[in-house]
Amino acid sequence: MDIDKFIDEIKKKFPNEIKQTEVVHTKRLMIYISKEALLKVTEYIFKDLGLRYIIVTAMDSKKGYEIIYHFSDDSTGWIINLNVVLPREKPEIESLTPVVYGTEWIEREIFDLLGITFLNHPNPKRFLFAEDWPEGKYPFRREQEKK
Amino acid sequence: MGKRTLVPIGPYHPLLEEPEFFKLYCDGEIVKEVVWETGYNHRSIEKICESKTFEQVFYVVERICGICSTSHPFAYANAVESIPGVDVPIRAKYIRTIIGELERIHSHLLWVGLAGHFLGYNTVFMWAWKYREPVLDMFEIITGNRNSYAMFTIGGVRRDIKEEQYPQLEKLLDEFKPKLDLITGAVMDDPVLHARLKGVGVLTAEDIHDFGAVGPVARASGVDIDVRRDDPYAAYDMVDWKVITAQAGDVFAKAEVRLLELYESISIIRQCIEGLKKEKGGEIKAKVKEIPPGIGIGRAEAPRGEVFHFVKSDGSNSPVRHKVRAPSFTCIPTFRRSCVGGTIADAAISLAAVDPCYCCTERMAQVYNYSTGKRIMNAAELIKLSQKRTEEFKTKFLKG
Amino acid sequence: MGLKEKCFKKSLWLFHFSAGSCNNCDIEILDCLTPKFDVERFGMKLVGSVRHADVILVTGIVTRKTRERLKEIYKQAPKPVVIVAIGACACTGGIFASGYNFDGPVDKVVPVNAYIPGCPPKPEAMLAGIMKLLNKI
Ligand code: SF4
Repeated sequence: MDIDKFIDEIKKKFPNEIKQTEVVHTKRLMIYISKEALLKVTEYIFKDLGLRYIIVTAMDSKKGYEIIYHFSDDSTGWIINLNVVLPREKPEIESLTPVVYGTEWIEREIFDLLGITFLNHPNPKRFLFAEDWPEGKYPFRREQEKK
Repeated sequence: MGKRTLVPIGPYHPLLEEPEFFKLYCDGEIVKEVVWETGYNHRSIEKICESKTFEQVFYVVERICGICSTSHPFAYANAVESIPGVDVPIRAKYIRTIIGELERIHSHLLWVGLAGHFLGYNTVFMWAWKYREPVLDMFEIITGNRNSYAMFTIGGVRRDIKEEQYPQLEKLLDEFKPKLDLITGAVMDDPVLHARLKGVGVLTAEDIHDFGAVGPVARASGVDIDVRRDDPYAAYDMVDWKVITAQAGDVFAKAEVRLLELYESISIIRQCIEGLKKEKGGEIKAKVKEIPPGIGIGRAEAPRGEVFHFVKSDGSNSPVRHKVRAPSFTCIPTFRRSCVGGTIADAAISLAAVDPCYCCTERMAQVYNYSTGKRIMNAAELIKLSQKRTEEFKTKFLKG
Repeated sequence: MGLKEKCFKKSLWLFHFSAGSCNNCDIEILDCLTPKFDVERFGMKLVGSVRHADVILVTGIVTRKTRERLKEIYKQAPKPVVIVAIGACACTGGIFASGYNFDGPVDKVVPVNAYIPGCPPKPEAMLAGIMKLLNKI
């Protein structure tokens, strides 16, 4: 896969959804997309192009809750990252599990650690830490840490 | 739907070294559903890493998992070094590769042994573990410890491999080769193992893509991926080797891939020693002043597959976010395809074939409770019912 | 001869409990079984159920989730039983002591008779530790 061609193509395919693309450093591409476009873009990347799903990273950053979906193109070694920012007030996003089967566990993990809700998750149970873990405590949220 | 019986494996079970809880829901002999419950081993490593400096994180990630205790620092080093764009000296690259490959040898041997143990073939267990010992001794000679090596640092390695040690390493490889032939022979030519393992726990290439499985699990199903070749790091693009794949996707193919990979490892180490001889007296560590703000993504091929580290730096001396993805995290879920439909007797070896490493998986993962709506509700009710009955019996008998 | 001496005089059966370890300690315990170290020559043997055990080897930190299980295991063990904490994690919490899921080193939950520090302790150290403990009893 030629990366310039790929960037052109994906921009052409999703002109409104893709906010920005950025080559972070060698072989790492970051694509900033809007929250609504996630399913469509992933479907294209995962199903049509056949990239391999790696993992999802979620973090509490200055912009809000950032979720990064990592995909790998094994023929060239590029990692394609989809970056979505969620507002702090209402952290909700469409679940990827119907498209990418493997994301089920990680989405629950993220719910547990950051309190992000995944809509349409096939099994949206709370990811229990232990029986006695306090409700509503998310260890990776920064504002809770300060309190 | 027939009656379902619950067969629990774990959390403390003679088969497993680590706390893990598999629930097999069975209809007669056939496994209908597997539920994995975890969280026993969650140590919140990602959070701990955020409170350490970039240098210190090496020693934390090393302790994510004792068996892959080089792969995690490897991937982390790749991630952190990519932020400022450090040029790692060639000698350090060779040393890193040697350590990485030695680790692959000891890890695959460990797996072969355990797999033999699961099947009741204890000869292989004893052999494999016996021949693993010299590798550990070699580690002790080179790095000072048998398991957690603490070799890596930002920009290079902390210790050099001395010239006196080359012959020792070469001798180790020379002696190891015939033993590997022996073990490979014992596994590949054994008609009993053929009969036992062929066609068991089959995963297709589609399953692999669905779950994002990596490493020997993927390669045994004909998916030709290996980070060492696809996204080369350290000295892997300076040596000559090939990626081993198999097509069948069953447990036997996974064993085959792992055993044949060991031959490649031996050849890689030999070439690295040659490389070291050429790079005599070279630097082993590049100077790195600070890590600028930015994002670093690093990968490394652990014995079990691709390890993925994501590091975000804000210019201070510790990471603001550090995400770790161990290969088992995407490999373990494949049991849903490999065990279901097989017999109970096959489940244990199908699970083991993944070479699951729960320590890696659970640095983050929590309780996992799989359910597909109604079916499992019934099963759950069944358990409740059975628990209630047991209670009733208990009170009855204890009182009576 | 007291009960204690009688219990611990001959073959010891070990039960291995991994609370929340990094696997290294567990592997080193298994290593003790293999031809090089071979604890079986002392009559020691790993057993599958704690109900058969004389010694419980605990590795790793106690996480919130394993705490109850550890207590349960201890309850099930036939007394007198010896508990050995193996590795820095089990002794003090080690590198994981600052984590949010950490629930104290092993001796906060169950009484510990011997500590074998090291990360991981070498198989020799484990053997030596257990032997020392036995001589004391
Ligand atoms: S003491 Fe060290 S080797 Fe043992 S479980 Fe803890 S971190 Fe791992």
